[in-house]
Amino acid sequence: MAASEQMGKVTRRLRLVFTVSSVLFVGVLAVSPVKDSLREWRRFKKDYLRYAETQPDTKRLLADVQPGVDQIWIPDMNVVDRCTTCHQGITQASLRVASVPQPFRAHPLIPHSPVNWGCSVCHSGQGAATEVSEAHETTLAWEEPILPNRYLQAACGTCHRGALPETPDLNRGRELLDRLNCGGCHQQQGIEIPAMRGPDLTNIGSKVIRPWIYKWLNEPLTVTDADGNVKVDGYQSRGEPRMPKFRLTGDEIGALSAFLSTLRSRPVSPHKFDPQVVATLQKRPDLEQAAETRFREMFCTTCHSLSVTRGGETQLIGGNIGPELTKVGSKVDPDWLVAWLRDPQAYLAHASMPRYGWSDQDLYLVSHYVTSTLTDADLLADVPKLGEPRPDEVQHGRQLFTEKGCVGCHVIQGINPAKDFGPDLSALGSKSVLQLDFGGSKIPRNLIAYIRTKISDPVSVNTAARMPQYSLAPQDLVAVTTALLSMKGTPSSPGLEKLVVPAPHPEFHPAGEFGELFQRFQCAQCHRFNGYGATLAPDLSFEGSRAQRAWMVQFLKNPQTLRTILTFRMPQFNMTDREANVLADYVSLVLQSPSVNVQRAGENRFTPAQAAMGKELYEVKYQCQSCHTIGSTGGYVGPSLSNIGNWMTVGWIEQWLLDPQSLMPGAIEPRRSFTDEEVQALTAYLVTLRQIPGNKAVGGGDK
Amino acid sequence: MRREIAAAVTAIFLLLPACSRKPATAKPDPTLQAYTMLRDTNDPQHPIPLDYLQAQGARVFQAECVWCHADATPAGPSNRSNVTPTPPLFSDGSTLNPLNDQFLQNMITLGGSAMGKSAMMPPWGRTLTADEIRAVIAYVRVIAQPPYQPPVRSRGEDSKR
Repeated sequence: MAASEQMGKVTRRLRLVFTVSSVLFVGVLAVSPVKDSLREWRRFKKDYLRYAETQPDTKRLLADVQPGVDQIWIPDMNVVDRCTTCHQGITQASLRVASVPQPFRAHPLIPHSPVNWGCSVCHSGQGAATEVSEAHETTLAWEEPILPNRYLQAACGTCHRGALPETPDLNRGRELLDRLNCGGCHQQQGIEIPAMRGPDLTNIGSKVIRPWIYKWLNEPLTVTDADGNVKVDGYQSRGEPRMPKFRLTGDEIGALSAFLSTLRSRPVSPHKFDPQVVATLQKRPDLEQAAETRFREMFCTTCHSLSVTRGGETQLIGGNIGPELTKVGSKVDPDWLVAWLRDPQAYLAHASMPRYGWSDQDLYLVSHYVTSTLTDADLLADVPKLGEPRPDEVQHGRQLFTEKGCVGCHVIQGINPAKDFGPDLSALGSKSVLQLDFGGSKIPRNLIAYIRTKISDPVSVNTAARMPQYSLAPQDLVAVTTALLSMKGTPSSPGLEKLVVPAPHPEFHPAGEFGELFQRFQCAQCHRFNGYGATLAPDLSFEGSRAQRAWMVQFLKNPQTLRTILTFRMPQFNMTDREANVLADYVSLVLQSPSVNVQRAGENRFTPAQAAMGKELYEVKYQCQSCHTIGSTGGYVGPSLSNIGNWMTVGWIEQWLLDPQSLMPGAIEPRRSFTDEEVQALTAYLVTLRQIPGNKAVGGGDK
Repeated sequence: MRREIAAAVTAIFLLLPACSRKPATAKPDPTLQAYTMLRDTNDPQHPIPLDYLQAQGARVFQAECVWCHADATPAGPSNRSNVTPTPPLFSDGSTLNPLNDQFLQNMITLGGSAMGKSAMMPPWGRTLTADEIRAVIAYVRVIAQPPYQPPVRSRGEDSKR
């Protein structure tokens, strides 16, 4: 009996254990579905439904909503993005306003649709994750954090290797990487290496003296106002100078200046001025004045800047193609200056300065102005006594020249640049945090902070850094970081590789006599030809369709400003008739636009009635005077039309009125909806506007 | 017996946090949220953050509008004084804030004469796309002084329309 009682007890106890463990088991089983029903993304989905209810277009907002996880899958590009699970409104046009709360706001209208491209291709982060923190941040399981909006343009640059209008910071960053000559030490992706980074120093000893080199290495360019306040700090990246601050000691600067001042392999042979010209000029009482006038008339300040004090404000005025010239007279050797002005390319093969057709008189006046007025007697006052360079100093300087990386930007014959002097940056943007050496620095452990600190304070990351010190403005630091982040090396998937849009490489290298003059006058330093060249002066790709040949010859011989608003002007090249004609021949024959009908030349077909109607349209209906000047009245935006009858071709005027951007992409003048009759009338009026050389406007400009 | 129940309850409590862990959403840095920063020429220390649309508007403005609607232009002097009546500055909130987006869109697209205003404002509808014009308006709104207050979009308002 006792045994059966015992049995009953055991059974009851077993049953109890069994019951409890079953309940426990069911409970454990329930954990997973309960956990799943509490997932973060479900809450966002519910919130979205609730949000859509408050909106006027609920039906449209809810049309595509489905209960599960949403996913964009693009196998070709390795895209598995579940971001749209929470970012539900991403394609809803009505949610494209800042007042819509995240994560429901629509994506701004960019050239790519997020549906076809996915999200992580541009924004980085973990597309497959379904938790907020895992999708956006670095966690143990996921390495790549999302790219902050401020650096998002880097993503555009990963495929688009050329400049895009939509990405101002990326473009600025690439421009800085190029202009600051980062390529002198670092390999980069998509940054062109120019023929000349810093000046060739093979012959520097014939140009400047040792104290000046010392001064330059110590502080490249400092402009102060009358009270001694620094107005331009040479180490700021205003574009000039590009020489960064190398943390050099006084001894090192002394050694480098000793070495460089001995580089004089090709001595300057002084130019022999016509003694009669010099004698006449020296007798002139107004020599100083005449020299200054000539300097101004040459428009040197189109490319060079000068420090000017106006109304108590000291600032640099002028262009930044060439170096700043305020104190250049105290810098360069006078004989060197004259030789340089006559033939810059003889000293520096890749110099961008044109070879002017100097007369002895002009050359004497301009060089006199530079050496007598653009000077500062105290320029080298704070340089210590250096004396003659000693052999040990020269030897040390030569060694430093390679060690400090000077050779990355400056050529000296007989010294070869070190290969891979700085780290390769061409795949920096795809580096993971584990690959970065933060040294002892206390910065946040991420790629952006790393790049920013390496640029702004390299020594804090690596005490032995050879990288010079740049002091970039905050926005420029963001720009350079963006450009570096965009360099991701070889694309990670074949789909992405296909998407790479290489930077355009326009070339324009005309041959023959025109080609020689094109080189000599360095036309492409200011003008653009089929995408090649600079944008300081008008694009000349279609100049042959625009300008009449006779006008071109006259303009080349005596350039005048066509736009009232411009401060930069074409320099006076002192061209001969033959040179001007060779240039005009080539331009009018070759640089033609396919959309200008040259056959329709001849203004004779216009009637006075048409011209009168055109005048009415110009002045009353369309009020073109808001932007264009005729005679002395009108606006500054477009060119003055006072002489357009002698200047432009009829075919060009007609086509311009129909569609300005077809002739000049990015032209400011908007495309209008003129009727054919109006185009004819306006053209008829415009061709009557002529100036007799040396006279005021005649013809239609009679106001 | 009691011990087992206690163990089970403890186990369930131990598992609970796994289900209801609230993610710690770190507050994003506002300076990292902007697509780009506009350098305010009057106050270079405080650049204005711009989103993508506003940034595109700023670009179009700098290319097309700046010549007559600003006092300084990329080329130096402004054409504003040559135009009659004097066009409003782009940042002039007291003039532009009362005008709604649709009016500005029409004004820019069709030009002044189509809207009963000066013919000196040309039509941009064949030069700029509708989206570019929308971007310019978004830019105008962000630089407005006094600041622009967008109209509230709600269900009730929509049904009245």
